[in-house]
Amino acid sequence: MRSQDPALGIRGTDTPPDAPLVLVAKVKGAMVLGAVDADARALGLVPGLTLADARARIPDLIVAEMDAGADRHWLQRLARHCAGWTPLVTTVPPDGITLDIAGADHLFGGEAGLLTEAEETFAGLGMAVRLACAATAEAAQALARHAPLPIAPLSSADEREAIRALPVAVLGLEDEAEIALRRAGLKTIGDVAVRPAAAIAARFGMAAVTALRRLTGEEQAPIAPLVEPEPLHFERRFAEPVGHQAAVAGCFLDLLRMAAEALEARGLGGRRFVLTLFRSDGARHRLAIETGLPTRDPAPVMRLFDERIAALADPLDPGFGYDRITLFLPVTEPLAAAQPQLDGATQDSEALAELIDRLSTRLGPENLCRLAPRDSHIPEQAQLALPAIDARAPIRWPTPPPGQPPQRPLFLFDPPQPVEVIAEVPDGPPHRFRWRRKLHEVRLFEGPERIAAEWWRRKGGEAPGQGGLTRDYYRIEDARGRRYWLFRHGLYEEKADPRWYIHGLFA
Amino acid sequence: MTAPFAELVAATNYSFLRGASHPAEMVGRAHALGLGGLGIADRNTVAGVVRAHMAWRGIGGAESGLRLAVGARLVFAADAETGETPSDVVAYPATRHGWGRLTRLLTLGNLRAVKGACILHPADLIAHAEDLLLIVCGPDRGLIAQLVAARPGAVWLAAMMPRGGSDARDLAERQALAAAMGVPLLATNDVLYARAEARPLHDVITCIREGTTMAEAGRRLLANAERHLKAPPEMARLFRACPAAIAATGDLLSRIAFTLDDLRYEYPHETVPAGWTPQGWLEHLVHTEARRRFPDGLPDRWQSTIADELGLIRTKQYAPYFLTVHDIVRHARSLDPPILCQGRGSAANSVVCYLLGITSVDPVKHTLLFSRFLSEERDEPPDIDVDFEHERREEIMQYIYDRFGRERAGIAATVIHYRPRSTLREVGKALGLSEDVTARLSGTIWGSHGREVAETRVAEAGFDLANPAIARVKALVDQLLDCPRHLSQHVGGFVLTEGRLDEMVPIHNAAMPDRTFIEWDKDDIDALGLMKVDVLALGMLTCIRKSFDLLRGLGLGDHALQNVPAEDPGVYDMLCRGDSIGTFQVESRAQINMLPRMKPRKLYDLVIQVAIVRPGPIQGGMVHPYLRRRNGEEKVVYPRPAAPHDPDELCGVLGKTLGVPLFQEQAMKLAIVAAGFTPAEADGLRRAMATFRNRGTIEHYRTLMVDGMTARGYEPDFAARCFEQIRGFGEYGFPESHAQAFGWLAYVSSWLKCRHPAVFTCALLNSQPMGFYAPAQLVRDARDHGVEVRPPDVNASAGDSTIEHRADGALALRLGLGRIEGFRDGWAEAIVAARRAGAFASVEDLARRADLPTAALRKLADADALGTLAANRREAAWAVRRMPAGQLPLFAGTGAAELGAEPDARLPAMPLGEEVVADYQTTRLSLKAHPMQFLRATLAGEGVMSCAEINAARDGRAVRTAGVVLTRQRPGKGNAVFITIEDETGVVNALLWARDFETQRRAVMAARLMQIEGTIQRSAEDVVHLMAVRVIDRSALLERLGDGVEADPPPIRAGHPRNVRILPRSRDFH
Repeated sequence: MRSQDPALGIRGTDTPPDAPLVLVAKVKGAMVLGAVDADARALGLVPGLTLADARARIPDLIVAEMDAGADRHWLQRLARHCAGWTPLVTTVPPDGITLDIAGADHLFGGEAGLLTEAEETFAGLGMAVRLACAATAEAAQALARHAPLPIAPLSSADEREAIRALPVAVLGLEDEAEIALRRAGLKTIGDVAVRPAAAIAARFGMAAVTALRRLTGEEQAPIAPLVEPEPLHFERRFAEPVGHQAAVAGCFLDLLRMAAEALEARGLGGRRFVLTLFRSDGARHRLAIETGLPTRDPAPVMRLFDERIAALADPLDPGFGYDRITLFLPVTEPLAAAQPQLDGATQDSEALAELIDRLSTRLGPENLCRLAPRDSHIPEQAQLALPAIDARAPIRWPTPPPGQPPQRPLFLFDPPQPVEVIAEVPDGPPHRFRWRRKLHEVRLFEGPERIAAEWWRRKGGEAPGQGGLTRDYYRIEDARGRRYWLFRHGLYEEKADPRWYIHGLFA
Repeated sequence: MTAPFAELVAATNYSFLRGASHPAEMVGRAHALGLGGLGIADRNTVAGVVRAHMAWRGIGGAESGLRLAVGARLVFAADAETGETPSDVVAYPATRHGWGRLTRLLTLGNLRAVKGACILHPADLIAHAEDLLLIVCGPDRGLIAQLVAARPGAVWLAAMMPRGGSDARDLAERQALAAAMGVPLLATNDVLYARAEARPLHDVITCIREGTTMAEAGRRLLANAERHLKAPPEMARLFRACPAAIAATGDLLSRIAFTLDDLRYEYPHETVPAGWTPQGWLEHLVHTEARRRFPDGLPDRWQSTIADELGLIRTKQYAPYFLTVHDIVRHARSLDPPILCQGRGSAANSVVCYLLGITSVDPVKHTLLFSRFLSEERDEPPDIDVDFEHERREEIMQYIYDRFGRERAGIAATVIHYRPRSTLREVGKALGLSEDVTARLSGTIWGSHGREVAETRVAEAGFDLANPAIARVKALVDQLLDCPRHLSQHVGGFVLTEGRLDEMVPIHNAAMPDRTFIEWDKDDIDALGLMKVDVLALGMLTCIRKSFDLLRGLGLGDHALQNVPAEDPGVYDMLCRGDSIGTFQVESRAQINMLPRMKPRKLYDLVIQVAIVRPGPIQGGMVHPYLRRRNGEEKVVYPRPAAPHDPDELCGVLGKTLGVPLFQEQAMKLAIVAAGFTPAEADGLRRAMATFRNRGTIEHYRTLMVDGMTARGYEPDFAARCFEQIRGFGEYGFPESHAQAFGWLAYVSSWLKCRHPAVFTCALLNSQPMGFYAPAQLVRDARDHGVEVRPPDVNASAGDSTIEHRADGALALRLGLGRIEGFRDGWAEAIVAARRAGAFASVEDLARRADLPTAALRKLADADALGTLAANRREAAWAVRRMPAGQLPLFAGTGAAELGAEPDARLPAMPLGEEVVADYQTTRLSLKAHPMQFLRATLAGEGVMSCAEINAARDGRAVRTAGVVLTRQRPGKGNAVFITIEDETGVVNALLWARDFETQRRAVMAARLMQIEGTIQRSAEDVVHLMAVRVIDRSALLERLGDGVEADPPPIRAGHPRNVRILPRSRDFH
């Protein structure tokens, strides 16, 4: 399976489009090819080869890490896609899907029609598939994986023949047993099938015999189809259009209660709620809200919808009334049932989360931010403004040791403002400085705090003298007791005439 | 005037991944800045102090005005109860006694921990605090109080001005604390590197240490570049609020009386019996042995040589050293069975060593001189390495520990430096490059010993050095390549002392059980004049000993290393043909090609043969001149200087090697005689050469040597070549003294191969893994020499290979059951034991009497080792697979067959091709046929010639051939790839130029069966090379062998490599 999605970002812009791509995984400390694309296969690279060997042969190989989780997820999605042909679909990880098409294929023009349709569907997704039909799931999988292409639908006699010609590898035995079968001269399923089952079982175990019987159709294994959970979709229809606001609101609440019940049963909480109001004249209103924490409590969600409605540019106009109202929950997250505290108090974090939800809903999520610390020495880069609704983890700010004053001001100028300074050379504190045309006499100071530039962000910054200017910060108190944060941009070794800036104000 | 500031808290890059500068760089910078002193203190180690000491001696020692203090920074483990970590303490020994306390303390911490760590608590320091001067690095009130109580008047509190914002406040707090505790404050910059420019390097090693990237590291990096060495005026300015802290540095320094020169070495006393002096005992041993060997009186030459050597040993007081080596060798010989060993090295070429039994080469007969050792001006201990059988060396090592005690014997360390490949990967990772890019970059380095990351190689991988990201990686990697990475144990260099070793140097646990090693490496030990005995492992000695044992058992003579018939012309005839597979040192492809050109006829020729195919002579361009002179194509002339120098000054130096310098000693002598090096310069050159990592230093000697030689009238070209050769020796030094020891072993192994090929091959197989060739090639070579080789068989084989007598009286080689992959020694032993009662009659009989598990039976059946018990291999395997895993107790006593009858499975017969494949899969060789035989008809139809035909073809002919790949190598500068392929008729050596390689890389690297097209190149000595033009991967043909063993193309599922691999892996470069 190979994604054509350019967003995958495996191929850089500078690599040729036909460079072979391989996915690698770590096996016993060595990087080993786990999957290869058609180009790589054509060049003789096969899964199981170490990456070092592969690179020795083909240096301009594109390598990406295997992502077993994503593969599994993708396979599940494809399998769900197949549910249009038959409800009995199951995945055979890492790369197979089995469909039970008994009684379903005639809807698509028989086996041949279904195969053609499946092939076209997957080709439309940019995927190459190997397809085969057979009497049992195991036989179909074996044919799809090992029989020479193309595999047209076979008569049962031909199918038996085709299966008998398959290599013994399809039995899925351990390597050691498989080699033993081949060493005994039994190289195809046919070779094994004609030997007495007792002789095979005595040497290779019952599992081998069972696998053989399933391949040859003497035994059927039940298939466990994928169960698709019902979407969280709730609906109220009205015989008479409802227009009264209280009735509509009551209906919202009913829907939210229904949703809460369904969510509780699945141990989930909603993070996105979409309410759709169908007006009797055919107009439609969609209202969507998001919460920072998963929830299934109707009351706060209801409040958020109220906020949402209040914030609408166009007020909600019921016109002749609504004949249908639906609630859909596209995003959910696991939420364990919580025991309410005995005194009935809500937890602070919940209260804050509710406030953030409400403000974000009212003002738009991008307009409500909270600062998160970022690990950097550079003051203006030491924090990050994130949408509050996304920044859910408790945030911990670096604090000075007990008894020490804060090292950073609460307010930072962006950008720092230039000031004129009279100071001692090379790294003495300012005696006085002029800021916004006002002269400030320095009464107390502390510093310097020396912060070097991040050389690794500068081109050639690793070379001596190219790392950027160092800043010397001073905490200053002027004669009137006001406190400032000033810095000299550059040491005298770095720059003949370094400039001074004011970067922040202390409380 | 007070003494100028001394920096007393300086870490070097021996504080692994924390310090960023070499000890020598620190000393140099401190001197340049005019510091009054420098204290080297690395984290829980003194591994770097000897280098600092050497650098300090280099700038003139105490006369330089810089004082050097050596100690360690003690980093404590967290307190088990409070969970708090005490402050670091820097400890400097004031006296020799204090040094011993410090090393004992570190040893204690080291031995508590697994390899690489050191676990210390303040209580340990207090117990070892005598004569230590202590600097507490942090404001740790409790620790200071404890230390002051233990060492009143010898504790300081460090004060730093790191530009952290609150420096002045912190300093005031420390002043107050110091006053309260009654300890002086001591100014320091807590140095991590010599110059501020090292900040990027320090940031990168911080990322490597923390396992993060520059972008992610954040405040784990230092905020600024202040922690470098600062000049006294700058420090005085920073500490103007507290000048006493500056003055305290001088006070502390003035109390240190200890330097590393105070470590006086004393030899262990055990080797000398009571009542004897070492010299007297040595002379007694030598004379006794001389009388034994020459009962009719010593010949004059012997007499005078012995007198000379003993005289020199007496003046240099080296007798205990010789006695120590003698003691170890004597122990090895006294064991039952004895361990074969042989000494080599400069001092080993002495009559004394010969008479003490350390070497077996008669130095008088072969006119060897221990000339290097004789140069009296070099005040260095003599050098003797002793090789032991590789399988039994551990016994010797444990003997040394037992005899001298673990606190008096330790293995030297090897400082592992950053290697280009891993450095690239780690630096690339720290800089945030993807694994993919760093892997491709590191793939540009072929060997792991390259020095700098070659620019051409970087470009080859498709990277542009103008790209700033790549340039940055390269710049930082080049800096880091010089740095030590960690300590490891030396392969076998033991340091033995009379006093406690752990009072000389800290001892560590090695990764291997029962091994301990010291913190100093070979150079440190040399520099301090400690004695080291190299106890090395050599596979060929195991093989020779096993050969001697077999010969003795077969009644073919009682041989020892000393009494192998010397100068047997048949042996030299064999070697002149290039017939040397399996022998010692002269078996590589390059050696096999060289043998017919060298045409060795005597032992000394072999000595040269061993030495000539080495980087030194090759890079110096000395090989061809020597060969031409040897073959009489060129006159033997000696390079001459201009007047007034003695025109024949080099005759003495180059006389033995026809005027061409070949050995390391000659190159060194050239530097002294022809370039006028002083002994000190020559010694420096030797050092620079021995540790090629001292980059830069060797370039200094290049100018010195070339200018020196041209000034005396030598050809500039000759001078340049001599220097190139010295540089080549740097990569793999090969002195004559070693070549002589190896030459003799080469002769002994060749004699065994020539006179007793079956026995020799048997011993080789039983000594695996060793040598250059896989068992398949060794067996094939034996069969080519007419030895019958018999397959493994439960009714004939032991675990090891054995020798059997043929009906015609000749010897046959029976392969052992150990050749079967995965077959355990215990199973083989059980089979041999059970067979004493009579041959096995059936598989059930075997299983019962030898009590074998089914896994063992299956392996035997698969490998066709049940040949005499079953109809054929396939039937045997089929039958064995049916046997239940464990014997049922009911049937155990009766011995009755417990399985019922079963209808015949009518298995198809196994074709020969499949037999061969199964043989290779189970034993990695086949006696039945060569895989290429089955493809011969197909290939012949395509005009592909056999290897034998290629080797007989005329020069210049365009040909094509095919064979199984044995080796792929890209030696030296990498401008050619050497490929060896094999078929049923022989072996072909092909050469592919690098430019052709790059276009056919995939075929060259992937092929197991390779078709090569090219032209024949036949040298005057009839050495044939195939100059390859085109390489085709024909591995698909191999799949046919197994008769469908490999379904084509391989299915999507990843298979076991065994399924894919029909033939054993070739030996490749990457």
